[in-house]
Parts: sequence; structure tokens; C-alpha cells
Amino acid sequence: MEKLKLIIAREYMSTVSSKSFIVMTILMPVLMLLIVAVPLAIGYLNDAGSDVEKVAVIDETGRYGQAIKATDLFEFVTLRGDTVGDPRQFYDKASGSLAAVVVIPRDVDSTAQVTVFSDKTVNMSLKSHIARSLSDTITQAHIAAYGVPNLQKMIDEANVDVDVKSVKWSDDGSETESSTEIAMVIGMILAFLTYMFVLMYGAMIMNGVIEEKTNRIVEVIVSSCKPFQLMMGKIIGVALVGLTQLAIWTVVMGVITSVVGAVLGVNLLTMSPSSMSPEAMAAMNEAQGFDMSGVLQAVMGVNYLQIFTCFVLYFIGGYLLYAALFAAFGSAVDQASDASQFTSPIIIIMIVALYAGMACIENPNGPMAVWCSIIPFTSPVVMMVRLPYDVPFWQLALSVVLLFATAAALVWVAARIYRTGILLYGKKTSFKEILRWIK
Amino acid sequence: MANFIEVRDVVKQYDGHMALNHVSVDVPEGCIYGLLGPNGAGKTSLIRIINLITRPDSGTVTLDGHLIVEDDVRHIGYLPEERGLYKKMKVGDQIVYLARLKGMPKADAQREMLDWLDRFDLSEWRDKKLEALSKGMQQKVQFIATVIHHPKLLIFDEPFSGFDPVNADQLKAEILRLNEQGSTILFSTHNMESVEAVCERISLINHSQVVLEGRVDDIRQQHKKNIIAVDLAPGAKLEANDRLFGLTPPPPGSRETWIQLADGVAVRDAIAWLNEHNQLTGFHEVLPSMHEIFVETVKG
Repeated sequence: MEKLKLIIAREYMSTVSSKSFIVMTILMPVLMLLIVAVPLAIGYLNDAGSDVEKVAVIDETGRYGQAIKATDLFEFVTLRGDTVGDPRQFYDKASGSLAAVVVIPRDVDSTAQVTVFSDKTVNMSLKSHIARSLSDTITQAHIAAYGVPNLQKMIDEANVDVDVKSVKWSDDGSETESSTEIAMVIGMILAFLTYMFVLMYGAMIMNGVIEEKTNRIVEVIVSSCKPFQLMMGKIIGVALVGLTQLAIWTVVMGVITSVVGAVLGVNLLTMSPSSMSPEAMAAMNEAQGFDMSGVLQAVMGVNYLQIFTCFVLYFIGGYLLYAALFAAFGSAVDQASDASQFTSPIIIIMIVALYAGMACIENPNGPMAVWCSIIPFTSPVVMMVRLPYDVPFWQLALSVVLLFATAAALVWVAARIYRTGILLYGKKTSFKEILRWIK
Repeated sequence: MANFIEVRDVVKQYDGHMALNHVSVDVPEGCIYGLLGPNGAGKTSLIRIINLITRPDSGTVTLDGHLIVEDDVRHIGYLPEERGLYKKMKVGDQIVYLARLKGMPKADAQREMLDWLDRFDLSEWRDKKLEALSKGMQQKVQFIATVIHHPKLLIFDEPFSGFDPVNADQLKAEILRLNEQGSTILFSTHNMESVEAVCERISLINHSQVVLEGRVDDIRQQHKKNIIAVDLAPGAKLEANDRLFGLTPPPPGSRETWIQLADGVAVRDAIAWLNEHNQLTGFHEVLPSMHEIFVETVKG
């Protein structure tokens, strides 16, 4: 036990103090920040630098021209267009000061078509602004033309958006508003986190094993401790490194987003201007058919204790299971480039698990979801997604027991492969040969 | 003298290949013992079994009178032939870590590490990463890591390979000093000169079996071919006597004169005759070198 602690401590300290770890830990949040901030900055620069441009509107109808209102980028000058021949004459007259000429033809009511003339490619935002403004105005004009009182109101009332609210009956007959979707999304995110963790740090374990083997330090170490202790020390040490890195990222990202948010006056997480008024927010939500208070209620209603207990169990079990495989395969090769024949099956299994988890969202109690949530290689993802759907206790228990039994068995198998593999050099190892080492 | 290590009838097989075939070796306490043999004979397999890195298929290993157990690794220091340390770890930390893995308390390990670095003039490198050191210095660090926990048994696999002559001498002196302080030392080597210079006893392993075992002096005596090198006065020519001896060529490059005694002739009779009939100024018995015995035995 004393030796295991020593090995874990060395593994942890040497990784955490290594240059690549420090660089990676700093670079990741910076990278994430850039991904979020660069588009914002570009958008900002794009708008800030340009002058307001003048656009002439030639309104042959004499009714709709005023509907196009000025924006931050464009100013509109409406001209009565009775006398229009070639729109080019206006363009030439204003030489340079006009960015474009919009012609609203006399028959726009029936054709619903206007034309923008310019000597440049016409700006997308200009086109969409004109289309939006005219569509609304012309629609309203048409409705008014029917001469039916309150027609607009009738149309609004006739428009129905059906909202499906799910209510769950508990055993005692009481009703609670169900929060399955939110719970499932949380479960999926956590499961995905487990798999990202396994992939990133599993590879770190494997490279560490290969490094010790090629360095030949391994023969010195195993003359002082059991190979099993060395392997477990590495697996546990790397897990601690991973958790440390995740913790740092979480904190740093939190600090950066709040600092940058304060400086730019923008909440990066929601990407919406913080200056937006509550009414505007409500209007926006309504427009999107999105009931914010309902979501909040659902978020509060999630059974977090169950989700996080299961997350911790599946995280540990899943990590151990895959980490053991990575350690075993690392010991079987002489250099990292030879390892792909062993790692690709692991990665394929992990991808299958992720897709099974996503498919499970559609039919969480179907046979595939049930089986995949019990099979140890896929259960860390699939069961996390299924959790909100009242998984029978026996299935959950079976799944957890199977996961830990398999993880323990794989650690045992991996230890046998490892103790042979680390002392064997200059041989290309095959799956068949590894199977022989286990015996 | 009691045996510190007793290997009894050890068998080890890998994938149908017999690595050790009923091998027995006794290493007396305080002895410098040589484990000889060509590459692939089974030396490393035997060393790994004594080190508890692998287990024998059958047979036993006894250390200091009891069957060897996991905890005994603290009494063993092992320098493998393929040297290896953590390249990115600081020299001092590395030595202390390896000492503590052997069960040494942290404070003792720290103190001994400083002493040893001082002894090898490496003090200024203590906080440098290993990869910053020259190869010779790295070897010294590895040597320190091998001996720092005062092991009663030291196992060196080809200890002198990769050392320049100056460092090799320093290393040899340290090994002899540790031996005087009571450590039993097991060398695995095919460097025959070092065997003659330092080993008291040897086992020669060939094709997974011990083919020759005993005290180095005894083995050389047993393998001697009754050859005497004689020194004559300058210009004198040796007068032969077929009844007592014949001439035998010395090794290429040697200017000595060698004679081989006939069967049953005592050295003193031959010398007496030579002294009478030649201008003899000196003589010494030629014992076969371990190198010759090795080659002769292995080629069989």
C-alpha cells in the first residue's frame, strides 16, 4: 500500500509539473475562449468600421416605400417613382453616395417581387432587411383590403402552437411535472464527459506505460514492487491528473468568461446582449415558443442525487475498465506507433456506445437501450441517458454490478498481460499472443 | 561460510522454450560471485527469479536461510544490463523515489542521496533533469539508486559496460568497498577479465544449464594443461628433453617460451633439469584464463 501511494504520487507530480501538461492546461481555455470570442469580435469590427450607406427607394406604388426603416448600416431615401424609366439615372445622379437603388414595382401586390440594383454585389443584410420590412407591410395591407373588421386578431387567434406538457404519476397518485428531457440531456452530457475523459487520459496511461518500457526503467521498478502496483499506480495517478486538469479548466473558464463578459458587456454563455430589457427577453421567448420559467421548473425538478450517484459509479467503473485495457495494450508494444492495432477496437467500441446512447433517446425502453445499458462496455453512456425513464431497480443494480465485475476482471487480465509485456522487447505482439499471456 | 542465496533445481519455461533447466547455484555470504554464460544462456532469467520479478515453474530460491518472499526485495539491489531511469525526473528526486520504493524511510533516503551524489561529484546536478546528464553520469546515478538502500545482496548485470576506464575503476572500487562492508555480490557478465580480477566463485551457464561451478582459482587449476613459461638468459636457446617436456607455442604476440610437461612429470623435476642444462633466469606456471575456459567449455 505504501508503495502504491509512492507510485501514485510520483505519477501525479511528474505529470502535473511537466511542460506539456502546463501548456495544455493553459492553452485549452484560451482556445475555447478564442472559438467563442473571435466570431463576436469579427462581427463587432465588421459593423463598427463601416459608414452608414444611402439607399434610394423608388416606390411606383406610392404606398410601401416608407415601410423600409433606416438601420445602423443603411439609410433610405424614398422617391416617388411615377416617372421612372431606367433606375440607372438615379444611381448615376448620386454618383458614389448611393449604395443601391430599390425599385418597388406598381404590381408588387400580385408579384410580391422587388428589385435591388447596384454596381456591387448586393449586401445580404440589406436584402433581408428589405424583404422583411416589405413582407410585413404588404401582408397587413392585404388583410386590411378584405375589409373584415378585426381580421388580424382572428388570424392571430386561429394560429395554434401546441405545447406538449408531460406529467408523471407517482406511485401515491400525485402528479409532478416531468423533467425527463432535461434529465436526459444532463445524463448525456455527463456520459459524454466520461468518454472524453477515458479517451484523453486512457491514451496518457498507454503512452506512460510505453515510455517506461522503452526507457527500461520498468525492470528497475518491478525489482522493487509488483507489476500490479505499478500499473494501478499509473491508472490512479493519471485519473487524479485528469480530475485536476478538469477542475482547473472549469475554474479558469469561469473566470475568463465573467471577466471578458464584464469588459465587453456581453454574456458569452448566452450570446445575448446583457442590455436587453426583460420585456424584450419575454418577447423573444414567446416568439420562439420557449417558456423559460417552465424550463427552470424542469431543471429544478431533476433528481440530481440519483444522477450524480450514478455518474460517479459509472465514471469510476467505465474509467477503470478502459484504463486497464489501455495499460495492457501499452505494455504489449515497443513504441506508440505500434499501438493502433490494439487501440482502434477500443475506440470503435466507445463510438458504438455513444451512438447507442443517442439512439436510446428515441426509445429509452426498447430492447437495444435495455441491453446496451446492461452490457458493461456501453452501460456508462446508455444507462446515464436512460436514468430519467424509471429504469427498474434490478436493471440498474445488475448494470452496476456487471460493470464493476467486468472492470475488476479486466484489471486482473490486464495485470497478467502487463507483467509479461513490460519485460518483452523487440517482438511484434499479436492479439493471439496476448491471449496466451493471460493463461 | 553459510550460503546467502541458494537456488535449488529451478526450472523456467517460456512458450515451450526452456530458459532454465534444473539450475542450482549457491552463493556464499559475503562472496563476489560471477554468473557467466553466452547471450541467451539463461542468466537474465535466473536473475529475474532471484529478484522476484518472475516466478520459477518449479524449484526454490532461499535467501539468508529462508524461502525468498516479496518483502525481501528491500535487501536486494539490482542493476539491470539495460539501464533505465526517468529522463524527465530530477536526479535527486529520482534516487530518493527508488530508495523509498525499496522501503527506505524518506529522511534516510534524502541523507544518503546527498552523501552519494557528493561521493560521485554529482552534487551540482541534483536538481537537474536526468536527460541533462552525460551518459557516464547517468550510469553513476543508476548505480547510486541500486546501492543506496544498503542491500545485503547486490546484483549487477554487466556493470562495466558503457563506462570509460576511469569510471569503471571508480565503480569497481565502490563495489569492492560494499563487499568489504558485508554485501554479497552477484555479477552477471561475459567480461572475463573482470571475472578473474574480482570474482571468488563462478557458475557458468550454457544452454539453460550450469555446466561449470566453483572457486575461480580451483577452476583454473582444474583446467591447467601443465604449461610453464620459462625465462632464459638473453641469447640462450632452449635445449629440449622429450622425456620431460615438449615445446608449445605461446599465444600470438607473446615473446615468452612455453613448455608443456609430459604426463606424470613433476614441475620440480623439469625445472631441475632445465636449470642444469639451460641458463634459466625465471619461470612461472601458466594457468588458463577464464576466457579460454569459457570458450573451451561453451564450444565443448
